[in-house]
Amino acid sequence: MIPNLTSIITILIVATPILILITFLPAFLELKKPKDGGPRMIMRSIPEVKTLTAHAIHIANIEKEQKFDISLIQTMAKIIEVLPNLEV
Amino acid sequence: MIIEALEVIFLFVTTLMMAYLIRHYIFTLTVLRRAKKAKVDAIVDEKYEPPVSILIPARNEDKVIGRLLQRIAELTYPHDKLQVIVIDDASSDSTGRIADEYSSKYAFIEVLHRENGNGGKGKAPAMNAGFKRATGEIILCFDADYYPQKDIVEKLAKEFADPNVGAVQGRVVVLNEPQNMVTRLVALERIGGYRVDQEARDDLGLIAQFGGTVGGFRRSVLTSLGGWDESILAEDTDLTFRVYLAGYKVRYVIDAECYEEAVDNWKAYRQQRYRWARGHMQCCFKHSSKVLKSKNLRVKEKIDGLLLLNVYFMPLVVLLSFIIGIPLIFFESSKIVGALWFSVPISLYSFVGNFAPFFEVGIGAYLDGRTRTQWLIPLLIFTFFYNIPICAKAFLDLLVSAIKRKNHSTWVKTPHLGNGNRYIEN
Repeated sequence: MIPNLTSIITILIVATPILILITFLPAFLELKKPKDGGPRMIMRSIPEVKTLTAHAIHIANIEKEQKFDISLIQTMAKIIEVLPNLEV
Repeated sequence: MIIEALEVIFLFVTTLMMAYLIRHYIFTLTVLRRAKKAKVDAIVDEKYEPPVSILIPARNEDKVIGRLLQRIAELTYPHDKLQVIVIDDASSDSTGRIADEYSSKYAFIEVLHRENGNGGKGKAPAMNAGFKRATGEIILCFDADYYPQKDIVEKLAKEFADPNVGAVQGRVVVLNEPQNMVTRLVALERIGGYRVDQEARDDLGLIAQFGGTVGGFRRSVLTSLGGWDESILAEDTDLTFRVYLAGYKVRYVIDAECYEEAVDNWKAYRQQRYRWARGHMQCCFKHSSKVLKSKNLRVKEKIDGLLLLNVYFMPLVVLLSFIIGIPLIFFESSKIVGALWFSVPISLYSFVGNFAPFFEVGIGAYLDGRTRTQWLIPLLIFTFFYNIPICAKAFLDLLVSAIKRKNHSTWVKTPHLGNGNRYIEN
């Protein structure tokens, strides 16, 4: 079935605003109430935020690589704690 | 006959548009691939600390110059290896006085005052004046509205340990991004350009571009090139190609970040883009044949160089594709036109935002962890349409200048009001 010219124009009139709305609505929402924080806030007196973040990620990676087990440290700490008592 | 001629032109412009589209797909895929593995530098010498001169051209920048000089004083690079030259370019405000105050406080900061007779004629003459006084082995440049990372000099200077490197470029991030819609769109363009485009070009061994600021040169290379060309408005693009044609490379250092105060209204945006477009077109006419003939450039560098030189013609090419393509639909034309027409809207939407395609901007924002700002990407289509008359005027003015044989390239300075100050914590 080939649609006639009137139905094509009607579809265009209805579809075009909907398409524009779908395309630009998120942008207008973000402009009206921005949830993106923009670039990092720059600290004047302490080292760069990025450097700190990168450092934290690096430490986290080392822990991950070494399969760091915190429970082991806790057990060791308990043993060290009782050591002075053994001297008495 | 006319229809056939139009078809040939249409085939040419759509092929050109598809070439750019493919180029940017390759760039985007490259950075996505690269994001998964750590960057490996060819030559990294952490102890390499050459004497560095920093040139800061400043004309009526009293709202921002103090902010930059304070930051310069906080740089972690050894101050005994630093020479900072503020070029007060015939300012009528208190720029010179503020610079003098910092100069009296810090021995490594010098001020070069230029009076109205010599000064105020644009960035290139100011840079050349500063360069004459510079003593460093490496010459870095920062615009007065910029705010660098404290360790940026180390990050940029270390690249010169490789003797093949003639220039470096760091990343530009918009400082006043949350200010309004213009600054937010400019920030998106910057993300596309600096997070994806430049990074990919560096990674693929193509033409990484020196952007005029947040970067610099090896002194010996800059001397051999004769400094900045004062007749070209895009003196940065001009130097980029001169460096490559001389057989050196430009390295892009993505983690050397510097924050800029972006234009915050459409008028300033238009003036800045007009300058870029006209200057870029000047470079296109100056360097295209040299790039093709160069023995120092590989084939892929030649192709990328030509695409880069012609990028400001692309809004006009897209416009031409519509002007020619629409009549071809209605007139009797071959089937190939219908197929080519598919490429027109795709290419159109791919040149948004300082000619970084939307997918490139989107991936850049994703890699920066800025997924929410991706919501603004559709608005970049307006900046693209805005660039069409800007580039058209730049091209026409350049043609008129060529016909009259007069180079009327007046430097319209971008005003900086210090709106970025609020985004720096004390």
